[in-house]
Amino acid sequence: MTITEALKIVQSAPRNAPPFAVTLACGFTPLHFQTFLAAHLQQALPDRHVTIATGLYGDLRGTLARVSEAELPDGLAVVLEWADLDPRLDFRSAGAWGGQAVSDIVASLDAAVEIVSLALERLPAGPRIALSLPTLPLPPLFHTAGWQTSEDEAALHAAITRFAAALAGQGRVALMNWQRLAEESPAAERLDLKTHLYTGFPYTAQHADKLASQLASLLAPPAPKKGIISDLDDTLWSGIVGEVGPEAVSWDLAGHAQLHGLYQKLLASLAGSGTLIAVASKNDPTAVQKTFERADLLLRAEQVFPIEVHWNAKSGSVGRILEAWNIGADSVVFVDDSPMELAEVAAAHPGIECVLFPKDDYNACLAMMRRLRDRCGKERVSQDDAVRLESLRQGAAFREQASGGAAPESFLQQLGALVTFDLAAWNEPRVMELVNKTNQFNLNGRRYTEADWRKLSSEPGAFLAAVSYEDKFGPLGTIAVAAGRMSGDTLTLESWVMSCRAFARRIEHQTLKLLFETTHADRILFDFTPTAKNGPLREFFASLLGEEPQPGFALTRSAFQAKCPALYHQVREMRRAEAHG
Amino acid sequence: MDDIRQRLIACFQVVFPNLPQEKIPGASPETVAEWDSVAGLTLMNVVEDEFGLQIDLDDLAGLDSFEKYRAYLEGRAASA
Repeated sequence: MTITEALKIVQSAPRNAPPFAVTLACGFTPLHFQTFLAAHLQQALPDRHVTIATGLYGDLRGTLARVSEAELPDGLAVVLEWADLDPRLDFRSAGAWGGQAVSDIVASLDAAVEIVSLALERLPAGPRIALSLPTLPLPPLFHTAGWQTSEDEAALHAAITRFAAALAGQGRVALMNWQRLAEESPAAERLDLKTHLYTGFPYTAQHADKLASQLASLLAPPAPKKGIISDLDDTLWSGIVGEVGPEAVSWDLAGHAQLHGLYQKLLASLAGSGTLIAVASKNDPTAVQKTFERADLLLRAEQVFPIEVHWNAKSGSVGRILEAWNIGADSVVFVDDSPMELAEVAAAHPGIECVLFPKDDYNACLAMMRRLRDRCGKERVSQDDAVRLESLRQGAAFREQASGGAAPESFLQQLGALVTFDLAAWNEPRVMELVNKTNQFNLNGRRYTEADWRKLSSEPGAFLAAVSYEDKFGPLGTIAVAAGRMSGDTLTLESWVMSCRAFARRIEHQTLKLLFETTHADRILFDFTPTAKNGPLREFFASLLGEEPQPGFALTRSAFQAKCPALYHQVREMRRAEAHG
Repeated sequence: MDDIRQRLIACFQVVFPNLPQEKIPGASPETVAEWDSVAGLTLMNVVEDEFGLQIDLDDLAGLDSFEKYRAYLEGRAASA
């Protein structure tokens, strides 16, 4: 991105859109970096109006200290450079570079890092925090030649690395990846010394652009893809299993097929952190089954669901997989070594991301695997991620039993369902994650930044219920969230979402019942907006109202009770919020 | 030369989006309130982008009006 392009993006921001306010904390003159950051954020958040506030020159810690509860930004970008830790590491400094100065810089760096660490710890909760650690070269102040690392230089880097490890472990701050930045902005092309000395702005335009781009990704990360659908022959393994047999396909060094082994390891790793993995292959089902029974397969069969193996079109397989997962095509990546198959699936499922497995191009294959990690990567892995695939399998069994033989009422009755309501879960990461990624059963499609969510939670009368579910088929984890505020006899629901995995169990009815009982509200006002995807919730409301729901409609307790079917769940309530207990 | 003028007007429009086009040829820090040191550096970078050249920071102090930019760019074009 050039500075001209960045300015045009910033100027084209929707002025009347909800603001996305970012505080940029840095010790240098922000100049174009501010413009690039605003532009990249604006691209990531086209429905928001991004604004950037900056602090004083040379006062990064002061800028952090001035972030107040009263006027919380949505995001905080902290750009730390060596000069912020010791002014003698700034090229603009008149401080000496001698051995004694270097020793003193090394001796005091831990304390300087600790001060920044404390400033970060003291930041009020709410804003998302993105941090980049020093990106500029150190001045040539060490006694060794440039090709040799001195003990002092190593000590400076070690202090930063310790700081980074501590921050990454805490989870409060999103830390920029040094390696990725180095790939996109080579170290030798970052410092513009003349501009730095003349104006106090140290970066080349290219470095400012790349650094701003990565900070924007940390502040406004894209929603992770939920699943990967993979081909088998010459993709998950090397060889055509129907021709050479299950024992002859390979994915190891000996067979010059390690790329496929790496791909299997990546899929297994993603499955372990909650990404759904399925197979769509035109193949011989028996041969595939035998291959999945091989003990040396790095992606275990139980990590894959569903497996669609037959000779029909892959678009049909993908459609059935999406149905089993109950998610949209735009939440999924399809990987195949055949451009023709990719095109067929892309045409049938608009929005799906189709990725070629470049089996003969090693570098392209590595780039593809990194792309998959980027698409599916998560900041944290929750217990719900661990049970997701199993609950989908159970969901399939649930649907099969529900539709075959047993009457719906008796089927629901013998489920042994337990619904748990947590009324004090505002700060649980899974709660906001669920709100921000659910589409089909979503009151209005609204997404929340951490700051938005915190504002909602601190409003007078704020109310939240996080809903977990389990039955004889197993636990589904936290599957629904209702949030709003109580005023007089009315509960206004600003957000209500439920995972599609939890449909058809009357959990939505049980939730409304609990909301009426817990808040003693006579009516619930729904901040409802129809979206392109929330048809299932619209249908649920229509079943209660006897007509299409209108934006902002109300449901009275008596109207709900008149329509509520029999509920067979055992209900457990935990952690009632103090303010409403 | 007309081409340089038109492209330079486009640069000024990017940096000073609220400045009416007819006022751009007379633009200087005295006539454009938004033209501070930051805007001056931004303008320099936008001109560099547009014309594919590097402007020495030592020349920046002298580039304090539309006309001076035009003359500078025409001079660079003539010596190229």
